[in-house]
Amino acid sequence: MTSLDVSHLSVNFGDRTVISDLSFTLKAGEIASLLGPSGCGKTTLLRAIAGLLQPRAGTIRLGTQLVGLSSVVLPPHKRRTGYVPQQGALFPHLNVAQNIAFGLSKKEFSQVEISETIAEMLALIGMSGYENQMPTELSGGQQTRVALARALAIKPKMVLLDEPFSALDAELRNELRSEVVALLRAQGTTAILVTHDREEALVSSDKVVLMRDGKIAQYGSPEEVYESPISPSVAVSTGDALVLNAHQAKDGSTSYALSSPGAPSTLANTNNGYVVIRPEEIAVSKNASTGVGGTLIQLDYYGHDAMLVVKLSDSTEIIRARVAGPMDFAVGDLVKVEHRGPIRFFAND
Amino acid sequence: MVTRVKDSLANRFSTSGEKPIAIPPALLALVGLLLVVVLIPFLYLIIRAFEKPLPEIAQLLLRGKTIEVLGTTFALLAMVVIVNILLGTAIASGIHFVRLPLAHLLIVPAVLPLAIPSYVFTYTWLALVPSLSGVFAAAFILILTTLPYMLLAILVSLRRIDSGIIEVARTLGLTRSQIFFRVVLPQIRGSISAGALLSGLYVLSDFGAVSLLNVETLTVSIQNMFKSSYDRGAASVISLMLILASIVFISVDERIKDKKAKENVFKRLTADDSRIKSLPLKFFVLTSIGIYVTLALFLPIYVLISRFIGNPNPLDFAGLASAAISTISVSALGAFIALLFSAPLGFLIATHAGRFSKISERIILIGHALPGVVVGLALVSLGSKLGPIYQSVFLLAFAYALLFLAKAVASMTFSLQLVPQVLKEVAATLGKSKTKVTTSVVFPIALPSIGLGTLLVFLTAMKELPATLMLRPTGMDTLATQIWSYAAINRFNDAAPYALLLVLIAAIPTFLLSLPWGDWESKSAASKTRVGSLT
Repeated sequence: MTSLDVSHLSVNFGDRTVISDLSFTLKAGEIASLLGPSGCGKTTLLRAIAGLLQPRAGTIRLGTQLVGLSSVVLPPHKRRTGYVPQQGALFPHLNVAQNIAFGLSKKEFSQVEISETIAEMLALIGMSGYENQMPTELSGGQQTRVALARALAIKPKMVLLDEPFSALDAELRNELRSEVVALLRAQGTTAILVTHDREEALVSSDKVVLMRDGKIAQYGSPEEVYESPISPSVAVSTGDALVLNAHQAKDGSTSYALSSPGAPSTLANTNNGYVVIRPEEIAVSKNASTGVGGTLIQLDYYGHDAMLVVKLSDSTEIIRARVAGPMDFAVGDLVKVEHRGPIRFFAND
Repeated sequence: MVTRVKDSLANRFSTSGEKPIAIPPALLALVGLLLVVVLIPFLYLIIRAFEKPLPEIAQLLLRGKTIEVLGTTFALLAMVVIVNILLGTAIASGIHFVRLPLAHLLIVPAVLPLAIPSYVFTYTWLALVPSLSGVFAAAFILILTTLPYMLLAILVSLRRIDSGIIEVARTLGLTRSQIFFRVVLPQIRGSISAGALLSGLYVLSDFGAVSLLNVETLTVSIQNMFKSSYDRGAASVISLMLILASIVFISVDERIKDKKAKENVFKRLTADDSRIKSLPLKFFVLTSIGIYVTLALFLPIYVLISRFIGNPNPLDFAGLASAAISTISVSALGAFIALLFSAPLGFLIATHAGRFSKISERIILIGHALPGVVVGLALVSLGSKLGPIYQSVFLLAFAYALLFLAKAVASMTFSLQLVPQVLKEVAATLGKSKTKVTTSVVFPIALPSIGLGTLLVFLTAMKELPATLMLRPTGMDTLATQIWSYAAINRFNDAAPYALLLVLIAAIPTFLLSLPWGDWESKSAASKTRVGSLT
């Protein structure tokens, strides 16, 4: 397993710039998620790392080996990156064992070694006994597992997963995702997972590469990007977020709809901007003495928790708060809301 | 039509906008060479035609006889195409939208007549009604021959219509007939045009039916000039006129092509209760299919069998066997040459979209517009200069390859595009070089389809008549030439065994292809290409 170093990478499709001047590094054994809306260039970045397309500028290094340079590109079959595309893309004319063994050249490995690898990989994905099944006989989850085994069988320098779980239903998706991540960690594999699912990105990886319009919007650990977003829009793309109007005084104190009463808010000396709050950082209660008053206008009940929407009495702001179940709120209740968390202030430009 | 299938597949599998990969020089050279070989007969025809002084050409084109022949040809073309469009649209829509018993099996007898070439139809009808002749009789026979192309083309596109759209139109207050004209018809226009193109090209290039019915169309004119006066120059001029007519016809179809929507996830009409329950409509559909199948299938087969059984003379086994062997071997050779030629061409078109691919495709399409008579004439003229190849089976096989190259390339391109891009990419990341990807992924997946395509070219070649008549080595008879020769002198009993054998061999794959096996939709693209290959 090796590290990855992407430096000043740019990719164009014709006249259109898809990735511009993008850099990030990944340590050996780390799992990174590429998160972003569709069209932000995350799949393109993955394909550039795999060698499936040619960058216009910049370099890609796997370990110490330079694999991608705008002028010299190592072709994909010499990179040894394990690629797991959407829905697995198993070879329809080969059975499970032949699919797994596809990347093992008969010149390099003996028949015995190949059989051993197949058995080892099948055990790893919990599918021993499936050697002779054809891809069409497998369920969606099994196909994804076999695709992963096929990628791991070549002992890749890193594994590249392009939304491998997107075709699966929610329950299977979560189960298979944690299984695959556990497996990648057990193997110590460096891996990149492309996803547009915020929770998937946070829960599966060591690093989140948050992409927007072909650039990195923020790069860091899941906690960093979730807890300390560098902009309100980054905050929104990693999870539910409230963005409230706010003013910051010279002394650093911030006033906004939920700030404790008495905070200075003289407009002359303030810096206008926004405060970003996560809904779970807001406490709601019916009979607290502290907090800002409001009316519960909407309640979205999810079972394990609920989202409360509160219209504040003294302000036009609408507050959304996540509270754990069970709870006894009803629409129309008069409630007090309180912000119990860090104040993330972003000034207007 | 063929290109349409290709476009939609290419859209589905290509990653949009990525830079096209440069064409390897070896492939470029090979394809260039093949295109020259394909074009030589055509160019030779032009040279021969313009060896005549221009006033003489003008005189030839403007004389009364030429105008008359041209008029007959276009009248025949118009009759067949118009009736086909009306009947084909009505019957195909009926099969698709009306609730019918055993609806999925109805298409089988309606498509089986594809196995019967026009001269066999003519022969069986002449055996029934010996006085049959003239342009209306020819139109009747050619409608029987070509209606299945129309039906198949339209049915395939009807099956692609999102039934959700139709349901929405109904909730918006449209009546059934409004839905047909405002929602359905715009979506099948392209297929109607494609079906019209196929049947029209069949009419333009047909020689068997018109010659047996004493109708002088362009093809018959060319054959007559070739046979009687040996004025190759004049025949070449008329041939160029025929090619021009075909090219005009093809370009009209290009214009009408659907502006194709991207293939989205959509709902298809599957549930029986969404089909129209109407007794009059049901009666109309079943009756029209019944009449067609009787005229185009039961009656011809009945004639063949009764003529075969009723023949007082003993069966000429040796003659039949030698004709069958000649037919099979020269057709197989032709299909093999077409396969060899189509491999690099299909590979180029399937994997390297770009200007060069487009131009190659267009040049190959010219082959589609070349009637057998014209290819025969060109190769006879050229072949007499080639020494030993002239009057050999190789020249005839080469003619087959030229005539059916467009079909072979379409089949090859389609087969290669069955392999999704992502599989090739996965194979590449697993350490396989380009060559290795081709041998270990592309060919294993594409091979069955390539084999089927080659088989279809082989079967089409077996039915070819005009080029075979002109190019066969002296003394060699094929099933097609025997049927035609016997029918031309009214020896209907003697033609029966040859016709029966030919129809039998050709019917088997037609039958298999028309069966609604498994998932029709996934095969619909395939059958669409196949329709072309069956010509």
